[in-house]
Amino acid sequence: MTGETTDPTAPTSPNRSGSGLSTRRLLAILFREEWRMHTELFGGWRFALFPFVIAALAVGGSVALVETGTAPGTVVVGLHVLAAGFGLYSGTAGFAGSDMLENVFGRLSLLLSSSTTLPLSRRRLLGVFLLKDALFYGVAFVLPMALGGAVAEGLSATTPLSVALFWGSLFLVFAVGMTTTVAAIAIRTRGAPPWSIGLAIGLAAVGSWALEAGAVLRRVLVPIEGTAIGAGGLAAATLVVAAGSLLLYDPTYGRPSRTATDRFARLSAALPVADSPLVTKSLLDLARSSGGVWKPFVSSTILLALVAALVGVVDSITGVAPAPGIFFGGVLGLSAFTTYNWLTQFDSLEAYLAYPVSIADVFRAKRTAFILVGAPTAAVPYLAAVVWFDTTPLDAVVGAILLAGYALYYYGLTVFIAGFDPNEFLFDAVRFATFTVGVAVALVPTLVAGFVVVPPSVELAAVLVLGGLVMGAVGIVLSSRAGPRWDARYRTE
Amino acid sequence: MGAIHVSGLEKSYGAVDAVDGMEFTVERGELYGFLGPNGAGKTTTIRVLTGQIEPDSGEVSVLETDPTTDPIETRRRVGILPEQESPPSFLTPREYLEFVGEVRDLDAERVAERTDRWAERLGFESKLDTLHTDLSRGQQQKVMIAQAFLHEPDVVFIDEPLANLDPLVQEQVKRFLVSYAAGDNAVFVSTHNIDVAEEICTRVGIVANGQLVTEQSVADDGADESLLEVFLDRVEGEDARDTPTLEQLDT
Repeated sequence: MTGETTDPTAPTSPNRSGSGLSTRRLLAILFREEWRMHTELFGGWRFALFPFVIAALAVGGSVALVETGTAPGTVVVGLHVLAAGFGLYSGTAGFAGSDMLENVFGRLSLLLSSSTTLPLSRRRLLGVFLLKDALFYGVAFVLPMALGGAVAEGLSATTPLSVALFWGSLFLVFAVGMTTTVAAIAIRTRGAPPWSIGLAIGLAAVGSWALEAGAVLRRVLVPIEGTAIGAGGLAAATLVVAAGSLLLYDPTYGRPSRTATDRFARLSAALPVADSPLVTKSLLDLARSSGGVWKPFVSSTILLALVAALVGVVDSITGVAPAPGIFFGGVLGLSAFTTYNWLTQFDSLEAYLAYPVSIADVFRAKRTAFILVGAPTAAVPYLAAVVWFDTTPLDAVVGAILLAGYALYYYGLTVFIAGFDPNEFLFDAVRFATFTVGVAVALVPTLVAGFVVVPPSVELAAVLVLGGLVMGAVGIVLSSRAGPRWDARYRTE
Repeated sequence: MGAIHVSGLEKSYGAVDAVDGMEFTVERGELYGFLGPNGAGKTTTIRVLTGQIEPDSGEVSVLETDPTTDPIETRRRVGILPEQESPPSFLTPREYLEFVGEVRDLDAERVAERTDRWAERLGFESKLDTLHTDLSRGQQQKVMIAQAFLHEPDVVFIDEPLANLDPLVQEQVKRFLVSYAAGDNAVFVSTHNIDVAEEICTRVGIVANGQLVTEQSVADDGADESLLEVFLDRVEGEDARDTPTLEQLDT
């Protein structure tokens, strides 16, 4: 007996660092959990098919865009923007700093919370978790996107090499997006207020625009168009920032308990709608979760910015500008999906079954909340687009009707197909494909019309108005049937 | 007919028979313990009795309502403390109980008065204006207990009533449940905890493999066997009595 004693709870104990489990082994376990989570949630083959759906969309979309006159370079830039955006979103998944992670991911991932019960360093666990996410989504999502870029540039004997290079390029900007989010969250855990982070991002965006740095940004953030040295530099910088962010991240960060003034009764009484308590709960949940009521606006503003950029690019290349009212009215209706996603992010249908309400009541209340939140969320960016692009009155009115009708339709489609879990679209091949086809049926003819007849003729305007009204009615029917449909599913499971 | 009546209840999930011919009756004034290992069919039975899911076959009635055909009316009359954690609501406990009160058509003044009473009884007065999502699990459980009794129902279904509660509050809740049942109400408690069932229940039904394997009146002081012994006998057979394992006890 040596007389040595060890304190397993001491912070310096090797057991506390998790050194007994190699990083490779930890990564393998996390991969297994990720795969099982998705296959349990969506059924193995439905999830396994998802990359093929992404590939089909990327290839189909690229071919369609190139065939209709869009420059291949524009398609390449668009795919990089999508990859970076997806990276920004994925970066939130590894940190317990957001409501979504604490409340949604925490229930799904046993391993993510195991640093509280096992001798695993939380910083190391999160680092490996993010690495796993980057590799997992890099293969499941980014690789299929790469096929679209290769097709846009034309098929040849070197296409496999093009796909590999394109994948590397897209994966790099995906990693840049993830790292940016991770860095922002790490700074947040050191006490920086969210507004200061938002201000910094806003100033950077405005500065880039003012300095006309678009060309420089394009050279940096579309690595496949730049040099190998540039790409290597971006990769090295990303690695440095990612490692620095993990070091900066404070694993002990915890938000203090928040209190709120009682607003429920007054708001519920003020709402002249059926199911006002259910609607009020939805609105307060949205307003008080991270990002508040601004979340849906941010989502629709991002959509507006993407579409505006696309319109500008197409105009500069082809000299053809679409009818802005019709174009923005049709596309901004898609904000219905993100708005509904935010309204259900922190809710569970099962929880309502403790009260004397039906599932149909809950869905009806969600629709009311959606209209209350979704109307200004879609209308404000639309009005901004109408003013910015100097739309004709007829075009503006037609676009407004399309916006309202299509938003209701996209909402109804989402609720009917996905019920209370719209974000699960992202992993279920069948649902995602059905939703995509449903959107395309309304949107593609509208966009074509918006490009072909500028400004819109009275006849075209009448047809589009009728189309908007019909789609709106279809949306109302779909959302009305969603309640009974999901009620039957839950009660006879 | 009793406050709760179950006859020939069957419910399966695919090839798994979760409930397989369940039969029992609970009368008013009873605090009925539903005791069994994980996967015995307890939660499925409660979900059928509260109209959350439909059975494959069998008859159920709760306060003379049929939860299969009229689940809203059943849920209007009963209180439910569900097994699963409450969703991350951003309402405060005060607002959440106002929400429950409005959904149950209770007078606002009465809700306010009962909210204060429950907050004092369970000790969450200082948390009434804290967002529910920021409360500890124990505090969240207290709020969920309050919502189950807010409308003073004649029948209450409770899944693990003492989960996450500190010992002092556990004692208060146990005393309250006993007194509530004694007031001509029926309290249906699903639990793994044999000691708690033995301490507070008037009668206990032991469930295994989707069936009620035995019932025992806990007040029977002259019983030859303890509840633990009965549980081990009926769930795993005599051998289990000598070598109880964690899997069998699951408490």
